[in-house]
Amino acid sequence: MSDDRNLTARLAAATCALLGTGAAPVMADEAGRWSFDTALLYYGENDDRVQDVSATIGAKRAFDDERLLNFTLSADTLTGASASGAIATDTPQTFTSPSGKAVYSTPAGKTPLDDTFHDTRFALNASWTQPLARLYTLSAGLGFSTEYDYTHLGANVSLARDFNKRNTTISAGLAYSQDDIDPVGGAPVPLSQMRDVGDLSNKRNSDSKDVVDVLFGVTQVLSRTTVLRVNYSYSQSSGYLNDPYKILSVVDGTTGDTILRAPAPGVAGPTGVYLYESRPDSRSKQSLYAEMKHAFGAPVLYGSYRFMTDDWGIDSHTGEVRLRWPLGSASYVEPVLRYYMQSQADFYRPSLVQGAALPAYASADFRLGEFDAVTVGAKFGHQTSAGNEWSARLEYYQQNGTISHEQLIGNQFGREQYPDLKAVIAQFGYRFGL
Amino acid sequence: MKLLGLFIAALALQGCASVGVEPWQRDVLARPEMSLDASPVDAAIDDHIYFSKEASSGGRGFGGGGCGCN
Repeated sequence: MSDDRNLTARLAAATCALLGTGAAPVMADEAGRWSFDTALLYYGENDDRVQDVSATIGAKRAFDDERLLNFTLSADTLTGASASGAIATDTPQTFTSPSGKAVYSTPAGKTPLDDTFHDTRFALNASWTQPLARLYTLSAGLGFSTEYDYTHLGANVSLARDFNKRNTTISAGLAYSQDDIDPVGGAPVPLSQMRDVGDLSNKRNSDSKDVVDVLFGVTQVLSRTTVLRVNYSYSQSSGYLNDPYKILSVVDGTTGDTILRAPAPGVAGPTGVYLYESRPDSRSKQSLYAEMKHAFGAPVLYGSYRFMTDDWGIDSHTGEVRLRWPLGSASYVEPVLRYYMQSQADFYRPSLVQGAALPAYASADFRLGEFDAVTVGAKFGHQTSAGNEWSARLEYYQQNGTISHEQLIGNQFGREQYPDLKAVIAQFGYRFGL
Repeated sequence: MKLLGLFIAALALQGCASVGVEPWQRDVLARPEMSLDASPVDAAIDDHIYFSKEASSGGRGFGGGGCGCN
């Protein structure tokens, strides 16, 4: 009797699989229909730093013969302040804003933040996927994004082949992008000094960079409940790789205090000596990425790991775990935990010493420093009776930076030089089909 | 180092031929949430956030468009 029941269950599962009906209807795969995946995101950092509100619409249309058209459109509005790279001091500091038309000040003891930062970004990506032969799938895409000071144009193509009863898929892809950077006030000459208001003699016009990405991937079905993907990627960037708004403080070699200066009479300007950062004009990155999904009955566990290394001296490790846990037949909750750690770039330094030979490359951008970061949160999703799904997720992100003692001088030890970054990520999503 | 990588890849592919399921055993794998690309919009948003705040990016696929934020 129990054998019979077992056989019936197996036959039912096999019939489902052969008919492609699965356990739940997959709207996106129905030919001739549009399906939409939309999201509204709020990202907010502590201390009135970066706040981002963005809206994203993903639209997908399936055609006969497994052909698929995909669009993603997103709009971002960024406001708030961003760390300039200058160090905190015991006295208030004044800086010339990137436009060169005004100044902004930082109170004593505070990490300097440039609060002139605001931007609106639009991005559009389109891709087309279709089978080429029985076991091959071709995918090609175009991407465009624009901001006040930045334009991106990109194209990518990838080819996948199935092997071993479609349990193994091997893919290779190539992407190229060309980005134009037109900084507010012009791109500063690397390692040139921040000037008084109105003096743009160290600012150049716009600049550009190219990025080539190559990706090889293997997706493997390991068992009836487990699937694994491993990707190797190589990325080569060349051109203007500086952040035009980042600076370094020039300090006294004994006290570690910022060297003071006075603006020209009758003109506003910086009260200290600050140099614009200088990064190499090329960067190659390699990464190895693995992700896995495993179903324990109804719950699904997701895990991923990425190792990245580049020729700027940065190595990073990223691990992420999610557990999708069904609540009743139509809802689920999915807690997430992500951990990230990176080493600092070879040319990262919190400040430059007055009188010492200038290095060719230097940046005090915290993102090139040594830090680790944790994300914790959860997503809740609910499927409506019409088959649409709404979801909400709330996550907390925190970075904890470290500056090695050899890189700090004199009074810098007593001050906060690497303020922790704390951010909230809140997202509301709705998926529906037409 | 590259040779070692190729060797491991070749070995892994050999192994793959004996791993996997029959077409009629794909009931669990066919569930939408079992797709490795089940939440493309979430993934794109995460990539964009972390790309802006960390020195690493990509790995999963190609980046979702450039950004002046890094």
